[in-house]
Formats: sequence, C-alpha cells, structure tokens
Amino acid sequence: MVDRQKRIGKLISGSLLSGLEAKLSEDVNVEDISVGRLVVVDGKENKFFCLLKDVSLQATNEDILLNPPSDDFAKQVHAGINTFYKLSIQPMLVMPQNPMEDDRPRPSTTVPPHFSNVCEATEKDVSLIFGKPDKNSPEIGSPIFMDVPVCLNLEKFCKRSNAIFGKSGSGKSVLTRMVLGYLIKSDLAVNLIFDMHGEYGWSATNESTGIDDPSLRQLLGSKVAIFTVDGDSPLYRRVRPDYDVQIPYSAIEIADLELAAGELGLTQAGIETMYRMSDKWGEEKWLSRFLEMDTDDFPAVVEDLKVNEQALGKLHRCLIRLKKLPFIRKEVADDTVERIMGEIQAGRHIVFQFGRYNSMLAYILVANILTRRLHKLYIDKTDFARAEGIEGPKPLIITIEEAHKFLDPQVARQTTFGTIAREMRKYNMVLLLIDQRPSGIDDEVLSQVGTRIVGELGDERDINAVLTGLPNQGTLKILINNLEPRQFLLTGFALPMPVVIDAKNYSSFCDEVSIGSGIILDAVKQKKVFDDLNTKVYGDDQIIFD
Amino acid sequence: MTDRIGEVIQVYTTRFLAQSDNLLNPPYFGSFVRAESQGMSIYGLVFNVYETSIDPNRRAMAFGIEREELLKQQPQIAEFLKVEFEAAVIGFNDAGRIRAYLPPFPPRIHSFVYPCSKQEVLDLTEDLEFIRSINSLPGLPVEELVAASIRLAYRERGSDRNFLVRAGQEIAQLLKDEYEKARSIIRRISDGR
Repeated sequence: MVDRQKRIGKLISGSLLSGLEAKLSEDVNVEDISVGRLVVVDGKENKFFCLLKDVSLQATNEDILLNPPSDDFAKQVHAGINTFYKLSIQPMLVMPQNPMEDDRPRPSTTVPPHFSNVCEATEKDVSLIFGKPDKNSPEIGSPIFMDVPVCLNLEKFCKRSNAIFGKSGSGKSVLTRMVLGYLIKSDLAVNLIFDMHGEYGWSATNESTGIDDPSLRQLLGSKVAIFTVDGDSPLYRRVRPDYDVQIPYSAIEIADLELAAGELGLTQAGIETMYRMSDKWGEEKWLSRFLEMDTDDFPAVVEDLKVNEQALGKLHRCLIRLKKLPFIRKEVADDTVERIMGEIQAGRHIVFQFGRYNSMLAYILVANILTRRLHKLYIDKTDFARAEGIEGPKPLIITIEEAHKFLDPQVARQTTFGTIAREMRKYNMVLLLIDQRPSGIDDEVLSQVGTRIVGELGDERDINAVLTGLPNQGTLKILINNLEPRQFLLTGFALPMPVVIDAKNYSSFCDEVSIGSGIILDAVKQKKVFDDLNTKVYGDDQIIFD
Repeated sequence: MTDRIGEVIQVYTTRFLAQSDNLLNPPYFGSFVRAESQGMSIYGLVFNVYETSIDPNRRAMAFGIEREELLKQQPQIAEFLKVEFEAAVIGFNDAGRIRAYLPPFPPRIHSFVYPCSKQEVLDLTEDLEFIRSINSLPGLPVEELVAASIRLAYRERGSDRNFLVRAGQEIAQLLKDEYEKARSIIRRISDGR
C-alpha cells in the first residue's frame, strides 16, 4: 500500500453529535467509496480519525432534478457544481498532527475546522490506532479495502465478558476459533469452551472447500484438553479425547432442568412436582429414584406427595429423556468439575465436546451444571485468596454457543451464566458468548458485554439487540447492515474505535499459532499406542460400561 | 496590415461597432477580434453582424435575381451596401499581458480591427473569465454567443475535451441559479464536439 494520503473530499458541515459531512472531490469516483471505511480529517493541529457511515446524492438546484442532464458530457459538467456527493462521517478519535512518543489517540471531543481535507486513512494511521501485532494483541483482520493489521487487545478482552454475533454462514465460527486460538496462545486466561458442534477440537470442516481445517487441538497441541460426553464418537477416531465425562444424577439441580424446560417439555406443574420430590426425597436423590420408577409406582407417590397423578406421569415421560443421554448416570467414578479445575490450575485449556449428543438438551444441561459448580468453586477460591492475600485462581473465559438459550430474559436473572455476565470479572470468570440470535439475550447482559464482534445479521431485531448500550448506534447499524460474509464489525472495550474488518485468512492464522506439524504426528502415534494396548489387554471385545 | 477586417465607427466602454472592409468576408458570429488603438490591443467578441444600405434613408430593394447574378449585371449596387459588425469588449492587452476585463477606455473611432491570432484566442479563453463578462452585458444573445465562442476556442485547441468540460463547468457555476440557461448553452457546446 502506498503510504500517501489520498484526499477524497472537504469538510462542509456537521456536528460532533450527529457526525460530520464532507463534499466528495470531483476527481474521486463515488463508486470507489464505501461505507465502513476509515477516513482521516486533517485539522489544523489534530488528525481526526473517523468512520465513513453514509454516502448520499445531493443537488444544489431543484431544477436539475426535474430536468436531469441527458448525456455524459452534461453530467460531467454539472458534477461538483449542481450535483455532488455528500459523505457522512463520524469522528471517533483524535490525535495531534505531530504526535509525541507517548501520544495515543483519544476520543474526539470537538470537530475539525471548515473545509479541512478528508483523506483515506493510510497504513500509518491504522497502525497508530490499532497498534502493531504481538502476542497479546494479535492481528485478527484488516480494515475493509486495506491491507493493514487490526489488532485485538487481548489483555483488555479478557477483562470483560465478550460476544461474537453473526448469522450462520457469516464466518463466525472461524473467527471465534481464531480469537480462541490467540487467547490460548497468549495464556492470559484459561479457556473453557462448550463446543456444541464439534468445531474447536481437533479439526473442523471448512464450509467453502469441504476439507477439514485444523482446529485448536491440532494447532496448539497439549495446551488444549478435549473433554467429551461421547468418547465413542467417530470424531475421536484419530485422536483420543483427554477425558470422558460422566455426570451423576445427583449433580443435576432442578434449576438446570428448568433451564431446559423447553427441550424437555416441562410444564409449570411438572416443575412444582419436582420441587415437592426434592423436598421429600432429598436434593441429590430424588431424580435417580424417580427415574427408576415405573407407572405402577405412581399411586404411592401421589399419595405420599399429594400431587396430581397426570402431572406426575407427564413429568416422568419428560424426564425419562435424560436416560437417553448415556453420560448421565447414577454413579460416576470421577468428578468432572474437579478434573476441569485441575486442568485449569495446570493452565490447560478445555474444549468440551458433545459428539453425537449435540442436542440442545444435552448441551444446556451439561454446560449449566458444570458452569454452576465451577462458578461456586471460583467464588470460594477467589474469596479465600482475597482473605489470605494470595493470588486467586487463573482468570477463566467460558465460551458458550447458542448463548441465548442460557441468557434468555426470562431465565438470565437466575442462571449462573446470567450471574457471571453481570458480575463481570469480580471472580476471575468471564463469558464469551457466541450466538446467531442476539435478540434472545437479556438486555442487561448485552449491555455488560465488553467487546462485540458482529458479523452479518439478517434480522432487524438482532441488529438492534447487538447495539444495546453502545454509543453512535445509528452509525454502527449502517455498518452492520453492509457487512458481507467474513466481514465483522469490531467495537467495544478491547478496541480504540469501532472498525469493520475483513477477517484474517484462516491458513495464515494456522501458520502463526501452530506449534508445528510435529504434534499432529505425535497425537496420531499416541492414539495408535493406546489402541494397541487396548487390543492387547481386552482383545477385540468392545468394553461397555453400565 | 493586410489582414485588417474593419474599422471602428462607434464606441462604448463595453462594445464597439466596426464597418467591414469587405462585403465578401465578414467576421463570424462569436469570433474574437482585436482593435488596435493608442498602442493597446482591445479584444472583442463579435455578437452582431449585419449588411445594410450605405444611405440610412434608402433601403435596399428586391430585384428578383440571384445575388451573384445581380452583382455581375449591376456591379454598382455593391457600392451602395456595407457590412457592419458589433463586438462586445472582453479584455485588452496591457504591456504584453492579456487582461480578461474591461480596458480603461474603448478603442477610438477609425481604429482598425483585426482577427485574433490563434495564440490570442488561447490566451483569452484560458481562464474563461470572458463568459462572465458577456453574461453581464445587457442586450446580448448570451446563450448563442457563449456557445459559439467556446466552440471556436475548442477547435483552436485541437478539440481538447478537457477544455470543453472546464468551460461547461464554468457555465454551470456562473449560471447556477439559471439552470435552464446553463443547460441550453451546455447542449450547444456539446454539439460542437
């Protein structure tokens, strides 16, 4: 890129609040101007970094609109005199023309003088704003139409709950993988990723080529541990998961089931019945006892609990679905949460996969149960550390897909996820919300989100939801409306100003993050050793527990 | 000088009237002319050309014969006719520099008038100020005159399209509030291409 400013217009009017307006130079083709671009207004002593938010057609004379010029010559002659193009730009940051060593761009509090030149931002301008890529602020893309890195400040990113929104096909998953990859590489926080669709483990299918792209485990090796509830899934033919998860009935609380009420088909009467059972039979035991019953046992229960028999039958039919999830058992050998905690203490990042059990029910239950217990553990540890004056547990980022299922306005106030999102990093725990339906998320949670990465969104309500609690919503809305696949609007705490980027190429991300192809071979070898050992000890018999 | 085309017979600050030397080759409408007077060149744009009887009390009469045939049969008729042309003053030459505004005084009567050289046309039309001068003079066929003079300057420039665009823009700017007028001039100059 040529590092020379190209003048595209002159400032003519506007205000800080509603944005500035500039007249496009006659020598610039309006078709080359596109919304979302970064532009620089050269003031007398300061440079104003602005976002181009709109382009409009203007005429100085009503008559020309009634009798438009017919031929090209007339159009050319009237251009810039009777007709012109107006650029609407939003000032964001300001910086002295000749910055000192420690000058950083700061929010703009005034406007540049009349007729200041409006120029395209140069490579130098962009790197002034977004910094130079390094381990803690990696490049995740470049501003649209430019080839300059935009860096995400991970130190800031880790300090708030964040969100990545976009409809399916917007490139959300790939970008999420990149963000997670850089987070893991930086070791600024430990990641727990609830990977509903199996995209963050060993490999993920590239939607455009159909070939498998390497994913986090393949790229980062032993830094990432794969936990799964479905150890027999074909997903693990090449690489064994690190840990098969089992969850005891006793760990399931009524609140967890309430959250999955929609998936289980629970009614209000059913929920009340559950509370009755829990009161009578004990919090930890009621579920396994109830699921072991059959219809013959119901009259006694009706007698005992004074509940409606039909409601009881319905509840039983609903809850029996849990039995179809083989990882939920009466007895388990090992406590998953303790295991996760151990990995976290050891600084390993966890990808939690669901294999073939990627139903919403399994996902909601598991994510909620584990997070609730982890949250308790974190509160205890953090409070303890505070009391003792020692370092608390490592900061943890929990990534959840389909976030609206956990943060629905009706449930967000009660769920652990809602609590984590609201209390922010008090207990060293933040969320990374991945969702395609942000309008389903509680406003209060959305307004607490620090950094938002927004891809293409179709629904007006989703776009409005994404902008909850942000300044300059009008500008950002236009930008979101104009996003294409693999383009994202980045805004919030970890960025000095909103910017629309073309996401970084995944293969260059892989090259940058990857520990080396050696680990792929290592993992394959490991799996072979494991299989050989299996055959040696057990023969070809399938070992089935339970 | 041999290329003389006329002699000034009436002057005002903003325009002058000249009698053509030659009945056969009167100056074109919209052409640039130069009156030499008191050591100064005063430039004008021809906006009116007419042929009339030399005696204001006697009008020419219809003979019902083709003009060439008539002049052959009765050559004395030519002696009773004259061609006159009016030019709007658009600038002058002051110590070698062309100024595109009114001179301090008009050419004197009986000054001779010459056609402008190519270089003079180029110099006069370079900054297009003359369009503004013409537009502000009352009683001129502004639309036709501007279009004719620009077409001429365009040809002198070897059909330089940039010049035509520049001229069109100047007109559009000048006649910002009279879009229809600007539009008709622009249509006329774009025809000359």
